[in-house]
Amino acid sequence: MRTLAQQIHSMKRNWPSFETVEMNADHVVWFGDLEGIQKPYRVMVEYGLPKNLLTDPLFRQFPQVRVLSPPLRPNFEAAEEAPLPHVYFDKEDLPNSVLCLFDPRALEWSSDHFIALTTIPWTCDWLASYEGWLATGRWFAGGRHATPQVERVS
Amino acid sequence: MNEITMASPPLGPTAPVSEILLAGIAIRIELPPSLHWLAIERYEAIRKHIEREGSPLHDKVVWFYPQGSMAIKATIKSRRRQDGYDIDIVIELLLPVTITPAQILDLLYEAIKGEKGSIYYDMVERQTRCVTVYYADGMHLDVTPSILLDENDPRRSHIFHAKLEEPTTAHKRVVMNSWAFCEHFNRALPPDLLFEQAYAKRARDGMKVLADAEVKPVPAHSTMEGGKSAAVVGLQLLKRNRNMRYAKRVGVRMPPSVMMAKFAADCQLPTGTICGALEVISGAMLSALLAAEMRNELVDVRNPTCNEDCFTDRWPENRAAQQTYISDLKLFRQQLHALMNGALGLDEMQELLIEMFGEGPARSAVEEQARMLGRAVETGVRGIGVTGRVIPAAVIASPSIITSAMAKPRAHTFYGERWPKK
Repeated sequence: MRTLAQQIHSMKRNWPSFETVEMNADHVVWFGDLEGIQKPYRVMVEYGLPKNLLTDPLFRQFPQVRVLSPPLRPNFEAAEEAPLPHVYFDKEDLPNSVLCLFDPRALEWSSDHFIALTTIPWTCDWLASYEGWLATGRWFAGGRHATPQVERVS
Repeated sequence: MNEITMASPPLGPTAPVSEILLAGIAIRIELPPSLHWLAIERYEAIRKHIEREGSPLHDKVVWFYPQGSMAIKATIKSRRRQDGYDIDIVIELLLPVTITPAQILDLLYEAIKGEKGSIYYDMVERQTRCVTVYYADGMHLDVTPSILLDENDPRRSHIFHAKLEEPTTAHKRVVMNSWAFCEHFNRALPPDLLFEQAYAKRARDGMKVLADAEVKPVPAHSTMEGGKSAAVVGLQLLKRNRNMRYAKRVGVRMPPSVMMAKFAADCQLPTGTICGALEVISGAMLSALLAAEMRNELVDVRNPTCNEDCFTDRWPENRAAQQTYISDLKLFRQQLHALMNGALGLDEMQELLIEMFGEGPARSAVEEQARMLGRAVETGVRGIGVTGRVIPAAVIASPSIITSAMAKPRAHTFYGERWPKK
């Protein structure tokens, strides 16, 4: 497992524009700007060292990325992935939803990995694909879902 | 503003997105080669028909040549399919200089129309300065009769103006040398090999992405013929924008394409980019129109190879017409600058491009870009730039653009919940 100091060092080295806005012994929050296609987005990355696999909150299971600005724009009319593509929905505040950047069942991320070399470039991938989705209503970047599409019978 | 650097070849993966989208739109509005070849076939057929035994112009045709956009490789499709498209041909005739404008136009009309039952009999219409042949598929061939003025000054000619409803006193001869202007244009704006190759590659790649998506054969494209420069592509886009603006202005004459071509040929275009060409050409046109406005005059643009050939003899008719296009150009330049400044998302660029060039080509070019990026992300064939930009190519660009650690990040699969359907 990478230590928090290692993660912070790697972030500084690879993404110098990211600033650490909150940090303690086992928890860190960064703010930074990323482009995706060309428009700048401000994102927040929150990560905590795992403590108890059964009871840990999500940010201790994997780095959580949220888009701060411009806020995500849900589109319930989109042909695919409405109202937002590949997120863990925050149903009270959709633009605050956490991005789903990897398949946890495929073990694509673990605490052995550097956030700077996985989560951040994956966020860039997500932002670029999100812009394509905003423009076309279609998601061209692939992916899986935790649950199959099921028609709810009312 | 976005800058293209040495590390960023024209229209390559690290080129500004606005540049890539403009190329995508230009590719979509060009006349496809099949129609170009059809036009050539048809004008050859018309020439033979005019020279046939028994034609009033038998043995009178000296020269038959394309003018305008076809001669400078800047032909574009019309905005609506039913509007068709024009191909302009000049027919240089060996006739007495005393012939009147109405006589020569009527003679050409008779020569093309032919006898009842002849192939063009029901397809031909006499216009003020030319005779138009209409084809069922929407193509129009405008054939303009001319008489050479001085055999030592090749192709400096008279063309003839004779509006049917006007008295003959209003009929006139007009000096022109479109041949020399096209030669001048092609010399001033020669093909830019680096740009031409990049543009042709983008046309092939883009058409393939969309053809794959729609399971259709890859369509042929005019870039197969080569000969392109960023300035010619810029000129095509400016013509498209003009056509968009004037589509709803019924009965209003448009700024002439040849005037726009003259400004393009006059411009020094050091950047070799479409955005740069649009910026410079639209800026030059706007400056000239504003200068005329300041003098309380109408803009006067002449053929640089024949000063008597006035490109603006029929437009602008008055100051209001001039001011209308000034407003259009100001808006166009605002939109262009917004596109170039890098602050817009793909969806916002799409909205702007729809306003500038129309819905069909803008949406299609944006979808192509979204598909290319999506495919690059899904397959992992992409790098991540130092600012986070996704660069859809396996190539490693300059370290100032992409660090080695980000050249090929670890593979991943987007995940997440589905929104429950009601």
